[in-house]
Amino acid sequence: MNNKIKNVLTSNEMIVAYIIIGLSILIGCVNSAFFGVSTLVSLSRSMLVMLIFAVCEMVVIISGGIDVSFPAVACISLYATIRFMLASGIDSPLFAFAMAAVIGISFGAFNAFLICKMKIPPLIATLGVSSVANGGTLAFLGTKEISNIPEHVDKLSQIFIFTYTNAGGIKYSLTVLFLIPVIVCIGAYIILKYTMLGRGIYAIGGDKNAARIAGFNVTKIQFIIYMTVGCFAGIGGMTYMILMRQASPQVLMGSEMMVIAAVVMGGARITGGHGSVFGTILGVGLITLVQNNLIMLGVPTHFQTLVVGLIIVIGISITSLRAKKIANSAKV
Amino acid sequence: MEMNEVFLKLEGIKKSFGGVEALKGVDLEIKKGEIHCLAGENGCGKSTLIKVISGAHDATEGNIYIEGKKIEHLNPIDAIRLGIQVIYQDFAVFPNLTVAENIAMNRALMTGAKKMDWKKARELAVMAMEQIGAHMNPDILVERLSVANKQMVAICRAIINDAKLLILDEPTTALTAKEVDKLNIIIRRLKAKGIAIVIVNHKLDEIYGIADKLTILRNGENVANGGIEEFDRTRFIKDLTGRDIVETTYRPEKSTEEILRVERFTRNGAFEDVSFVLNKGDVLGITGLLGSGRSEIGDALFGLAPAESGKVFLNEKEISIKSIEDAMNHKIGYVPEDRLTQGLFLDRSIQDNTVAASISKYLIKGKLDHAKMYEVTKEWIKKIGCIAPSPNPDIRTLSGGNAQKMVIAKWLNTEPKLLVLNGPTVGVDVGSKSDIHMILHDLVKAGVGIIIISDDLSELIQNCNKIMIMKNGKASGMLEAATLNETELTHLLSGKKEDNNE
Amino acid sequence: MDKLKTSLKNTDKNTTALFGIAVLIFVIMGILAPRSFLGIKNLQGMCVQFPEFGILAFGMMLAMISGGIDLSLVGIANFAGIVGAVLMIRMGGSNFSIVIGIAAAILVGALCGVFNGFLIGYLQIPAMLVTLGGLQLYTGLGLAITKGPAIIGLPPAFNLIANGTLLNIPVALFIFVIAAVVVSFLLKSTVYGQHVSFMGTNATAARYSGINNLKVTIYTYGLSGILGGIGGILMASHYNSAKSDYGSSYTLLTLLIVVLGGTNPDGGRGRVIGVTLSVIVLQLVSSAFNILRVNGFIKTFVWGIILLAIMIGTHFIEKNKQRS
Repeated sequence: MNNKIKNVLTSNEMIVAYIIIGLSILIGCVNSAFFGVSTLVSLSRSMLVMLIFAVCEMVVIISGGIDVSFPAVACISLYATIRFMLASGIDSPLFAFAMAAVIGISFGAFNAFLICKMKIPPLIATLGVSSVANGGTLAFLGTKEISNIPEHVDKLSQIFIFTYTNAGGIKYSLTVLFLIPVIVCIGAYIILKYTMLGRGIYAIGGDKNAARIAGFNVTKIQFIIYMTVGCFAGIGGMTYMILMRQASPQVLMGSEMMVIAAVVMGGARITGGHGSVFGTILGVGLITLVQNNLIMLGVPTHFQTLVVGLIIVIGISITSLRAKKIANSAKV
Repeated sequence: MEMNEVFLKLEGIKKSFGGVEALKGVDLEIKKGEIHCLAGENGCGKSTLIKVISGAHDATEGNIYIEGKKIEHLNPIDAIRLGIQVIYQDFAVFPNLTVAENIAMNRALMTGAKKMDWKKARELAVMAMEQIGAHMNPDILVERLSVANKQMVAICRAIINDAKLLILDEPTTALTAKEVDKLNIIIRRLKAKGIAIVIVNHKLDEIYGIADKLTILRNGENVANGGIEEFDRTRFIKDLTGRDIVETTYRPEKSTEEILRVERFTRNGAFEDVSFVLNKGDVLGITGLLGSGRSEIGDALFGLAPAESGKVFLNEKEISIKSIEDAMNHKIGYVPEDRLTQGLFLDRSIQDNTVAASISKYLIKGKLDHAKMYEVTKEWIKKIGCIAPSPNPDIRTLSGGNAQKMVIAKWLNTEPKLLVLNGPTVGVDVGSKSDIHMILHDLVKAGVGIIIISDDLSELIQNCNKIMIMKNGKASGMLEAATLNETELTHLLSGKKEDNNE
Repeated sequence: MDKLKTSLKNTDKNTTALFGIAVLIFVIMGILAPRSFLGIKNLQGMCVQFPEFGILAFGMMLAMISGGIDLSLVGIANFAGIVGAVLMIRMGGSNFSIVIGIAAAILVGALCGVFNGFLIGYLQIPAMLVTLGGLQLYTGLGLAITKGPAIIGLPPAFNLIANGTLLNIPVALFIFVIAAVVVSFLLKSTVYGQHVSFMGTNATAARYSGINNLKVTIYTYGLSGILGGIGGILMASHYNSAKSDYGSSYTLLTLLIVVLGGTNPDGGRGRVIGVTLSVIVLQLVSSAFNILRVNGFIKTFVWGIILLAIMIGTHFIEKNKQRS
């Protein structure tokens, strides 16, 4: 039992947690304003969309694949949807999310087709799809930023589940959209842990061939994974648009690197088979914390990228070295 | 349960792949509660036969009866439903999942469960482990288990699926002697439950230890079939290879010209205080059970995992081997144990494979001479008797024996003074095997020091004049091969005699 | 003549396909817009654009041949460009300062690459992760120096590297050709070149053949870093300024070029001629779109299509091969 506690305390997740706690204390010492509901609210808002993407990316990485197309898919989903809604006069949040999800799913299916049926390595396949989706958006749908978002959709950004007013009378409100990543995290946790589909995802990442022998339908599972990622890329894109109250055709491009880094720091192994929702939340949390609050430590803005880069390199090194240590440790 | 009931019967099974007949009419009968060994050299059709039984291959001709019922088209799922379970050499377990999950996974999939029931998985795992007497923490990840325990997981997984026939594909290759004994106990337990067991193995000593029946395959036919008591060593080898064994033994003239001297070689946890001398003309055989330190000595001489203390003299000059570069600078070559992953660049041409260890030789006036590499490879192909059309094809197109010859050629091309070969004839057909032995003897005559590390005792007795046995990292003294026979060597190896005395 | 024959025999299907596409574009454009497409201005313009990402693509190719990947190239390029630019300006912009700046940029590139190689080879962290973090790190270092805005006021002579011409041929093209020849020579005619492709094919077998994988890995990423540094110089010269987020689309672009050029994503195989042709094809496509006044963003779209088409094509060729 003691061993078990020790294992939990030295797990990857906990190491990230320690870093977060350490950093928080440090920031809090320098700037006591850090410890407050307001920080929590703004952090939650900042990590909202990244968390949706990261949980999906984690599922792909667990299965032994990788997806770099989700930012492009998110952009095309949100941009095509908003263009269509403006042109047709439809104004329904439900429709907005549904259409974005459907577009995302079709790109996900295309990814899965290339990876499972055409046997293209996931990195290359999703890279190609990213290029097609991003180029397609800009070339055929336009490059303009759209700010006249249909009223009912736009209103979503003004619905809050929680409002906090600090001593100075400044309001901090947590948007209702925060429920989306919460649902995604809980859903992913349950599916990964308590369904055969989830265990199949781990099994494929552990040993694809053994999974096939055991009787998993590997192709089907991979299709489900990539289509789900596509679906939530669409929803995530739409969420981002509502949050920003503006539709931009390539605003999310480039975020894939940061998302993958967050997932890996959270303990997912890039070689597949390992990863947890909790770890990913912490990974995203750490990166968001650094991005948002370094300024409180007196670190100038132009040093932020460097510090984030350092943290990523160190975090990734620790994760990889730990995986190696486990692989080389004495067997029982 | 009726023990003498026939579980599986094969009649005239034929299987061909694109015109090549892998199985040419195999008959086989396996009774419940019987331990049946299946032996045969590489390429005899063993694995094809297993795949036919497990439903992975459809037989081209012939009948399959299971429990007296004729089965028309056996597919993998049906085979499992009928109680046929195969444990492959790599066990097909999931390293990233827990023991309990690995054991329970197949069952859950078979019943079409949608939910993962952790409690039930744990119960099943504990129950299965109890049945075979294994003790593992059901919540530990399989990647943390030893090879033997991974195998236990695979066996547990098979038996909870109501296995009636368990096929083990070369189950002992990666096990230590103790682990083999433990495995045999488990197999006997399963036998007592009435489960039929097929073991693929070609080591006679291990077969004697466990089998009731023995079937020998050669070139896709079963050439011998019967109770284990009907086979003695001579018949076994004759049936296996199709030749009478000519006991050619290598007995060189004595020489005092020293090639290699190793003194008090030690690497913690691998071997300690190992000393030996290799004179001109000697072929030294090093043997021992898995984990005895036999391979580690080879690794140390090649600088892969260098010795921590001790001295090495090559041609009477002390040398230090701290890295592979050191070993190669001193002209030491190493033919590794696992040809496919360590020895060959499968997707590269024969030429690339031949020059891989000696590229810098072809640097002429600052530029690599590819034409010369081609010519040299062509010469080696001829000299070493490799059957290949030209240096151009990928090496994966060659048979095991021919590929192994090219691995040796790769090292000969570095003009070694000492060549260490770890399992030089594993997975090599009989013809190439004797070719390789001839090559080695020619090398010795040319003054190259040869060390063969092997667990093939007859290979050692026939081809070495000196043999050293490793046991728990310690070396026996130098034994003269001329004074040994295989039975004695086996006893020395497993230390059974000494154990009895204790 | 014999030599030509063997070299033709050695060109694989991928190279032939790329060459075919290039010729096809020339023919089509020669018919559609002969004046503007084949005009010296356009040809010169093309040759100014592609060297910078073409040279980065060589770095990516080396990493991929070794069995890895280098996502940090653009970060290295910008960081190197920034260091070079700062030095040149600090030293007053003389010709000597330009030489020092260029040398410093290449040195910075090499150091960043060696750092990548160390993490990958010695600590054995997957290349993708190391260079992913590296991209962020080197971009961050660049940003820390510039504090955000681009560094301007570079010496005019420096500007000529990317924008000047020699005998009517852009200087940048010369640099690209030299890089191609050097990388090609390294891969084909040096011990390192053979070792890196052996390591990329099977790292374990390479080790068992006496190849020092750590050394080869550090060389590879060091070289990739040097190419990144050269790319950075070209970019700084081209834009007449240095900034930490120039060429952010180049990471994916170079990956695309390298795979399109027939480099095996699993390592072991890759050829300069393939990558060169692939760079040229991409440049021709985008140039053709410019002249036909097609929306410029279509080229991203078309690049993706070409990449996927070639991968799908390879899949079917492999499948047929296995069947026969």
